[in-house]
Amino acid sequence: MTMRFVDEFRDAELGRTLAREIRDTVDPGRHVKIMEVCGGHTHSIYKYGVDDLLPANVELVHGPGCPVCVIPMGRVDDAIAMAHEPGVIFTCFGDMMRVPGSRGSLLEAKAAGADVRMVYSPLDALRIAKQEPEREVVFFAIGFETTAPSTALTLKRARAEGVPNFSVFCNHVTIVPPLRALLDSPDLRLDGFVGPGHVSTVVGARPLEFIAADYGKPVVVSGFEPVDILQSVLMILTQLRDGRCEVENQYKRVVPYEGNLRALEVMAEVFALRPHFEWRGLGFISQSGLRLSDDYAPLDAERRFAVPGVRIADPKACQCGEVLKGVIKPWECKVFGTACTPERPIGTCMVSSEGACAAYYNYGRFAREREVV
Amino acid sequence: MSCGDGHCITCSDEGTPMRVVAVDARRDLALCEDGDGARSSVEIALVLPVAAADVLLVHAGTALARIEAAA
Repeated sequence: MTMRFVDEFRDAELGRTLAREIRDTVDPGRHVKIMEVCGGHTHSIYKYGVDDLLPANVELVHGPGCPVCVIPMGRVDDAIAMAHEPGVIFTCFGDMMRVPGSRGSLLEAKAAGADVRMVYSPLDALRIAKQEPEREVVFFAIGFETTAPSTALTLKRARAEGVPNFSVFCNHVTIVPPLRALLDSPDLRLDGFVGPGHVSTVVGARPLEFIAADYGKPVVVSGFEPVDILQSVLMILTQLRDGRCEVENQYKRVVPYEGNLRALEVMAEVFALRPHFEWRGLGFISQSGLRLSDDYAPLDAERRFAVPGVRIADPKACQCGEVLKGVIKPWECKVFGTACTPERPIGTCMVSSEGACAAYYNYGRFAREREVV
Repeated sequence: MSCGDGHCITCSDEGTPMRVVAVDARRDLALCEDGDGARSSVEIALVLPVAAADVLLVHAGTALARIEAAA
């Protein structure tokens, strides 16, 4: 079945034309590093081989925008502890089931007898709670501002419908604080950003203006099809050539500059900012995570169940942190494709299909030669 | 678990364009269909009003935007 607004953005001839324009626009004497913030972009880039169309001096660096990849091990341990509570049905998205904690994953907890179920949306989790009123149903909420509205609406629905056996283990995060942390990081030099398209449908493009205003880097909010990404890269290179730095919106067919005000209102009602939240590989970042607001505290799984709440250091061999910051490429990690594979992941970047390592691995991009320094 | 053609919503944070098949206005829900023909219930409270045949951008079971043609 064809889908309008999708197929035309996978047009190969248009892609080749854009690639030619990119070669004509970039300064041949300059190595340009562009970070794609969102895991969805990373997935698309490797699925369609977008980077193969770029000249050697235009490098795409993968950012921290995969919600699965940034979950620290301690939170997975907390999730597993809840899943083992008597009477609990623990629900989560498919990818989260395979993320390793310090003593296994939710999938392994399921094998050991915990009732862990994969759902497609928080609404599915609420439906289970209504179907099984004698059980406690917990939803493992993860994601940026793209999935947070979905969790918020489900919580509002749960309260309105009076579903007492439903609660949420909230791990939602926000995109701007980690971007600021990356821009402040001394070991990273970036020339521009492919901005997160779907996060921007919610928050709008305005919250990204600080990247241009405070750090002097161009930002182009981009769609996810290969033609979208190539066009966004071209727009960034054009800004650099013309000596401009501003926020542009390539994804106007979906993203209004002001975002979705109704979504922001619902999120403001249901969530409150945590003082700080731990990100895998990036450490604690101030005001980067969401908890349930005091109004919704009775639906907060962290208040309903006792969890270990212990911080667990990332495995020593794993270099997800450097991959998430774009300091190294996935294939430069010591365990990439050997000890760490999508079947037996050590790090989160190898778990989610949006993770940079899994994207490289799944699309046959693990045979590249390592750069010799 | 594989994600076919970028349209699988088991990937927890993937946006999926979906076409509205039927609207349940009373509950702010719509039955929607993705590009592969898979159907699911979608929250539409954030993008109202919604009509059959609209194409919505859906994340984790919630429509975040109506997809419109580029100007």
